[in-house]
Amino acid sequence: MKTMRREPNVIPGFGITLGFTTFFLCAIVLLPLSALVLKAAGMDFARFVDVITSPRALASYRLSFGAALVAACVNMVFGFALAWTLVRYDFPGRKFIDAVIDMPFALPTAVSGIALTTVFAGNGWIGQYLEPLGIQVAYTWIGITVALTLIGMPFVVRTVQPAILEVQRDLEDAAETLGAGRFYVFRRIIVPTVLPALLTGFTLAFARAVGEYGSVIFIAGNMPMKTEITPLLIVIRLEEFDYAGAAALGCVMLAISFVMLLAINLIQVWGRRRMMVSR
Amino acid sequence: MAGPANHTELSAELSSRPGHNTWTSTVVRWLLITVSLVFLGALLAAPLAAVFSVALEKGWEAYFGAFADPDTRAAIRLTLITAAVVVPLNTLFGITAAWCIAKFEFKGKSFLITLIDLPLAVSPVVSGLIYVLLFGLNGWFGAWLQDHDISIVYALPGIILATMFVTFPYVARELIPLMQQLGNDEEEAAITLGAGGWLTFFRVTLPRIRWGLVYGVILCNARAMGEFGAVSVVSGNIRGLTTTMPLHIEILYNEYNFVGAFAVASMLSLLAVVTLIIKTLVERSGYRRR
Amino acid sequence: MSIALDQVTKRYQEQPVVNDVSIEIGEGEFFVLLGPSGSGKSTLLRAIAGLTGIDHGRISLHGRDVTHVRARDRGVGLVFQNYALFRHMTVADNIEFALRVRRMRAADRRARRKELLKLVALEGMDERLPGQLSGGQQQRVAVARALAHKPQVLLLDEPFGALDAKIREELRRTIRSVQRELGIATVLVTHDQEEAFALADTIGVMNHGRLLEVGNPNDLYTQPATRFVATFLGAANLLLARQSADGIRFGATPVNAEGPERVPAGREHEVVAVLRPEEVEIAGAREHLSSNYIAKGAVEEIVFTGALERLRVRLLDEPSAAMLLGPGGANDARLEVTRTQPERRDLPLQTGAQVALGARRLHVLPTPLSSFLACAPTEAAAAALANEPLLAQLSTNMKTRVVLRSIAQGPEVTGSPLPFTGVAAISAGPDAAKTVEWLLRNGANEVLVLPRNAPSPTRVFIHWTHEAARRATLAVSASLLRHVSAEAIYLGIVPEGPPGAGHAAPMRALLDARSEAQSSHGLEMRTELAIGETVSELTRTLSSGAAQMLVLGITDIEHAGTAYRSLLAAQPGWPVLLVYRSGEPQLRAEAAA
Repeated sequence: MKTMRREPNVIPGFGITLGFTTFFLCAIVLLPLSALVLKAAGMDFARFVDVITSPRALASYRLSFGAALVAACVNMVFGFALAWTLVRYDFPGRKFIDAVIDMPFALPTAVSGIALTTVFAGNGWIGQYLEPLGIQVAYTWIGITVALTLIGMPFVVRTVQPAILEVQRDLEDAAETLGAGRFYVFRRIIVPTVLPALLTGFTLAFARAVGEYGSVIFIAGNMPMKTEITPLLIVIRLEEFDYAGAAALGCVMLAISFVMLLAINLIQVWGRRRMMVSR
Repeated sequence: MAGPANHTELSAELSSRPGHNTWTSTVVRWLLITVSLVFLGALLAAPLAAVFSVALEKGWEAYFGAFADPDTRAAIRLTLITAAVVVPLNTLFGITAAWCIAKFEFKGKSFLITLIDLPLAVSPVVSGLIYVLLFGLNGWFGAWLQDHDISIVYALPGIILATMFVTFPYVARELIPLMQQLGNDEEEAAITLGAGGWLTFFRVTLPRIRWGLVYGVILCNARAMGEFGAVSVVSGNIRGLTTTMPLHIEILYNEYNFVGAFAVASMLSLLAVVTLIIKTLVERSGYRRR
Repeated sequence: MSIALDQVTKRYQEQPVVNDVSIEIGEGEFFVLLGPSGSGKSTLLRAIAGLTGIDHGRISLHGRDVTHVRARDRGVGLVFQNYALFRHMTVADNIEFALRVRRMRAADRRARRKELLKLVALEGMDERLPGQLSGGQQQRVAVARALAHKPQVLLLDEPFGALDAKIREELRRTIRSVQRELGIATVLVTHDQEEAFALADTIGVMNHGRLLEVGNPNDLYTQPATRFVATFLGAANLLLARQSADGIRFGATPVNAEGPERVPAGREHEVVAVLRPEEVEIAGAREHLSSNYIAKGAVEEIVFTGALERLRVRLLDEPSAAMLLGPGGANDARLEVTRTQPERRDLPLQTGAQVALGARRLHVLPTPLSSFLACAPTEAAAAALANEPLLAQLSTNMKTRVVLRSIAQGPEVTGSPLPFTGVAAISAGPDAAKTVEWLLRNGANEVLVLPRNAPSPTRVFIHWTHEAARRATLAVSASLLRHVSAEAIYLGIVPEGPPGAGHAAPMRALLDARSEAQSSHGLEMRTELAIGETVSELTRTLSSGAAQMLVLGITDIEHAGTAYRSLLAAQPGWPVLLVYRSGEPQLRAEAAA
């Protein structure tokens, strides 16, 4: 295929489309991003380190990462269950549920933020039952985790779903005729087959959750050192007109984004190599 | 070929298997379905219901009254203007990028794809921040812009730029794999038959990618209207002037004007529902996401 | 017996996909299940493996009844069409899977794996992933994996389906030699007759969920019992011939072949003869034929295919009406002929040449159903009748034709040949019984009475009023049931009498009928017993469900017009196939014997 396309191509428009795409990308992505990096680079290094390792910043990393990690783990379990249910079982409303999974993609984050806060507040529909159990959700890290779980859920379900669909029924049948029980088949055949997709979904959900802002700030309570996420800290720095400080924290976030992108790519390469889908 | 073809036949075969433990598998099945539904219910259904419940808490009159507020109207107008500028631009970009990437081989292609994907991984706050750093008072172009009395940050252009940054991958990401999968054969056939580039695009390519395009555009639109973090950083939150609907929700919410906040939120929720409906219809029409 | 299936039936949504199949497969036997897609062969294989439960019947492996045993406890090895290898595991892990499940020690597993890899000629491939192997190699791994736990039987579901021709042949040889070496009873499912011939000790041909015939490849090829097997196993010309008391005639010329049943003097039966393309002899003139002359023909098409030359010959004189089906399809009734190179050199032919055709070997099918005759008062009504869904389905499935005939019931026609041969089809209605009687008097032996838009039956009831009609009724039923996927039920009817008295004899007759159906006609049927008057009991049974049909054997013409009037006039009604055999003393005696 590749060699075919390298041959003289009769399709027109290469120059103009490439030019336009590159221009657009440079203007919208590269230029602003380089502004961020250069702004941070313009700082005194010691001050840079100082800003990004201040106790308040460290606390915010811990919260952002911790909550995102817990949320991604929760999603890995429930997202798998959801994807499995949607693929393998037929029940009334299955198609509806399948469509609704994408809701967090389409729902503005501010809306999910205030809505979750209302539901999980001490007097909210769900919060009122959790409060007596000593579980306070709104304005604690649990609330942040709940919001991040909602944001990440479709990523896990939508990556795992096709993978489960592709587990050939024949594989399970083959394992069964070879003497394996249901749970053994699940553990040794299904989970390993779905694993790359599950990890990809996990990483996507995690990456999205680390940077999430809109849905979190309403439910977080935003107490410095306690329930203040890193993106919020950037906003606060900006409001204090501390552009350099904001840029330094922004750089940290950007670096994390790059690491996540890299991780996703590595997982996919690993998954492909493991399955050796050489078709 | 071998074995059952569809869901019903499959479950019929499974339950007919000798030694099949119907009781256990029924329990597992309903357990999983229940867990899934409870999970979705708590996370998705309850909050959505809450939006409408709070918005209508004081009756329909109060609900519609919320939209009479001039600031709310200004926010709706601003959101519509932003979407009206951003969505066509990003659609154009998406088509061009997809054409360039799917139809040609060139060096640096994968780098280009990575750049297109980048905004999806960047925190929305960072997305806003970079424009502030570029066009803000202390930014690269800040002084020059002030001399010429042009305001970008804390004004409409900034909002549009930030929204564009956040939403521009959507159309391109939908179209690139689709066009790669469809291949070049039909376009090449059209061109060898004497069709020009535009004719080929409109008569051959466009009809084949239309569902993917619709899909990308509605997603792009939903994100453009609902973007909060990036816009919040660049808008300056000047009430009635630079607040889009999501920002206006925040203001109303912080003022404890819950009916107003949730009324606006309910509109955005309806937008999300409509988006999902269109998405489902597109998928019904045979379009499959990869 | 290694594998014994006893009356295995499997239904999907009430439709039987495997219908009353009984097979016995011996120790070390290579059994090939052959059939077109959708014939139920894969389902049957999955049932043996335990991946599909069955609705009726028993499955035993090495004398152990496993009908209710789970797949994982059956100890079978199953090989799938698309390999179904575990792609995330190495070849070694794949092969050792069954041993690991059984908690075998690592050293033993390793030894067994080496042994198996040697067997399938893949030594040294242990650490490869399935994705790194070619299709043929993957399927070898799949075979090795299926054999790891020393299964009692090996099951292969279209194992060569995804491979190209050359690798297919190579793998075929490997599988055959592995099977010989291990002496393991093996069932292979395929739709490829060449593959079946190459591998099988025994072939079972399936169609519409039924096992039609079982036998060694040569017998099935030379002496098929059904037209499906005749045409599915290689190319075949199907011809209609006439059988009378004097023997079999093809057109006006008598041919040397055996008919399925004896025919009383004065009556004629239509029979179906199979003529393989390679058994046709071509000569310049009738005198030069060394075999039985059948017809003159004109060569229409010559295709050179290397070793063989294929010709299509149009029959010139009267017998052309008797052509049922060339391998090309029902509409171009041309005789298909193949010639070897020496034959070609002896008589070079050009298209258009006129030749004499002879049959070196003609095999008459034992089926009593040959062609259909749609009879109605007008040509248009006959055409409408021919388009009835059930009749259209039967003629398509039986690869036979429907001839339209407008009938005017008048005085009895006499003389030879009698005007009605084959199965006469008429519409149901108040006058149907009268028409039946008239048709039977004029030479018809089988009459199909069709209500309007009758669906394809799911249950066929079989009954005969007199023992003399038993044999023919069973033969007709068996023939019919090969072409529709329905269950067969024999309905025995005992006249009302004092309770307990005289029921032993009918019960014995019932069981005799069942065993005769199975042994002589390969027809598996269930039995039911009813007490009461014949016609009312038949009506009651037929009304008890939707999509039912009746095959009714009768021996006397005299009362046919009145006795079955209500049965054939019922609304909405059901299809009835009447089988008439005259109750001549000599035939009666034969039936009793």
